[in-house]
Amino acid sequence: MMIKKLIEKIEGEAELDFIFNNNNKIEEVKINFGFSRGIEKILEGKYPLDALVITPRVCGICNHAHLLATVRALEDGYRNAGIKVELSDKATNIREFTLACELIQNHVKWFYLTMLPQLEKMLQIENQENHGLKASYLSSTITKALAIFSGQWPHSGYAIPGGVTCDPTYVDVIQAEGLINESIQFFEKIIAGVQIDELLSMHSVTELQKIGGDFGKLLYLLGSSGMAEVGKSHDRFIVFGECLCFKIGKSIPTQVSRINPKYVKESVQTNSFAKSVSYKGRQFEVGSLARGMISKEPIVKALHKRYKDSLLTRVFARVYEIGLLLNYSKVLLNRLDLSQPSCCLGVGVVVEEFEGIGVVEAARGSLIHKISVKKSVIEKYTIITPTQWNLSQGDEREKGIAINAMVGASTIEEATYIFRSFDICSVCTTQ
Amino acid sequence: MKKPRLIWLQSISCNGNAHSFFNHPDLFSLLSYFNLIYHPLLESSHSLIEVLEGTLPCDILILEGSFKEEGFQKNGIEIVEVAESYAQKAEHIITVGTCASFGGVFKEADPKNISGFVFDIEEKIDRYTQYASKLIALSGCPVHPKWLSYVLMMLVKDKPIPIDEFHRPQELYGITVHTGCTRNEYFEWKVDTKGWGLKEGCLFYENGCQAPYTKGSCNKILWNDVSSKTVAGTPCFGCTEPTFPKPNLFKTKTNMGIPATMPLGVPRRAYLTLTGITKSFRIKRFEERIISYDD
Repeated sequence: MMIKKLIEKIEGEAELDFIFNNNNKIEEVKINFGFSRGIEKILEGKYPLDALVITPRVCGICNHAHLLATVRALEDGYRNAGIKVELSDKATNIREFTLACELIQNHVKWFYLTMLPQLEKMLQIENQENHGLKASYLSSTITKALAIFSGQWPHSGYAIPGGVTCDPTYVDVIQAEGLINESIQFFEKIIAGVQIDELLSMHSVTELQKIGGDFGKLLYLLGSSGMAEVGKSHDRFIVFGECLCFKIGKSIPTQVSRINPKYVKESVQTNSFAKSVSYKGRQFEVGSLARGMISKEPIVKALHKRYKDSLLTRVFARVYEIGLLLNYSKVLLNRLDLSQPSCCLGVGVVVEEFEGIGVVEAARGSLIHKISVKKSVIEKYTIITPTQWNLSQGDEREKGIAINAMVGASTIEEATYIFRSFDICSVCTTQ
Repeated sequence: MKKPRLIWLQSISCNGNAHSFFNHPDLFSLLSYFNLIYHPLLESSHSLIEVLEGTLPCDILILEGSFKEEGFQKNGIEIVEVAESYAQKAEHIITVGTCASFGGVFKEADPKNISGFVFDIEEKIDRYTQYASKLIALSGCPVHPKWLSYVLMMLVKDKPIPIDEFHRPQELYGITVHTGCTRNEYFEWKVDTKGWGLKEGCLFYENGCQAPYTKGSCNKILWNDVSSKTVAGTPCFGCTEPTFPKPNLFKTKTNMGIPATMPLGVPRRAYLTLTGITKSFRIKRFEERIISYDD
């Protein structure tokens, strides 16, 4: 039996075909994205720096990660062409800070606009609270801190080869610190119900009982509804982006080893505008859970030991990461030395031919941009987004990450919830 | 008072306008004036499948994303047809963002077949006459949340909104992005910035800034209530104009060293005269850094 379903409010939509077996369990899922906007094609023939303006338009929710992937690809390309590109600590820290803010914004929207309300809906719990208001409050507070440096959010173009365009004062830094403190208070009081330090120092599953707030509520609902252990997939993780407080590498499932981007393969899939991605021919999960596993966050590892790569572990790793990033943003602001230059490359630098790769960790996982420039214009631009990793259809050998996680679910509601736990970004997937 | 019924419909978009609006500091008190039939992020009374049938009530239609006459479907239904069916019954249509207004970035993938809802760059398309009387265009990539809240509340209050030739509200687009820029002194005295990442100097001469000829209130109604591109040292990319995105956004096109495009409405001769005078003076203050941090 096959049932088709349109999944909405996932930064666009996707059509899922659910195939049930004779025991009324989901046996196979096909994920279809109906349209590609052709951003890679739009970039061909453009001036290389224009990519800094175009690629953020891939996605309204993770535009900043695209900007930073582009600037890294350009810098890598310049270096490959023999140009010395050095970044001041100030520029590096500002970029990291703005990226952290964008990740937090994403995580919070996913938590309040998707995971909590959808679970309440599925369990038929009447909700008395305005989850959207909480999402909007924290998201606008944290993007305000971001915009102090980037000029605006969404869609800034403030990262430029050699640094950043902004030249902040300590008035700006103090204001940003205030906004981070405000966000930390919100996180501690409303989301987690514990102090950030306490959350980040947890290392055993029994300590999770201390978590209160809306996060505690979500964990409780997952546990009491039998949803905690569903959603397991291949238990294989990968992190490519060298940034923030994350480590890079792959983990199968707990054995961490080194990686090389040359083994990443992108291929066209039938019936979908999304391309699939694999590493050495195998499927890997990207995102907060992967980052937690590879950075060996004690509490993520402890949960994984008991629940493997289940829905519970995946959800926990992501909300936990909000705490991690809020803490780290404070460190970054504290480190800022404004006497350093913002940008170390001049206005007139033109490199006629180069090839470069830029990788960052976006909210949903590793984001890879590749640029090839000939005769001063972009000849080819390739974007591999996190959702492509998690949503690949897979091959004869193994199913894709999200599909494998949905297989075995007994209802479409359950499978859809598992699907949403990967925080699907439709527009990024097809670009 | 009966609340106006609002549908936010997305065509070919990045969702940037929806996320920009989501950051509005008074989002929920603002929304309390409306009956939210559909919104792509927020909980609303109907599902997308129901919206796609084209039969729900709609007083205010918000359109996001560029339009393709054929070939952009959701659930097998052409989005342009869904947009048309609500546009006909709505009392007001607001195109948010440059894509829905003029075609924008996504037009470039298929320039012949993709456009804004009623404008194709600067040209009015066939649909224009039918909807012109109820159309407000809020261009910008993305739209500023407060530009949209201004329009929505004016509609609730049933007050007239003066518009320009592209249906953009004059109160928002009557000035240029240059108005209110923190670098205005440098512009007045024709002092170029000495590189990226400096708070001193103007970005109009070398760095591609289009603010003096781009309409919008980015430097009057600040972004995220704190900043703007030019304040943060990024050139204005002209994203509120039908021609966005022009090529070579980080470099000013010049003729004989003079910017090829003049500040809006300024005759070239007037500009050259003024430049000649200001450049004959060297003003020490504009050559120096504003702040010196002692090491």
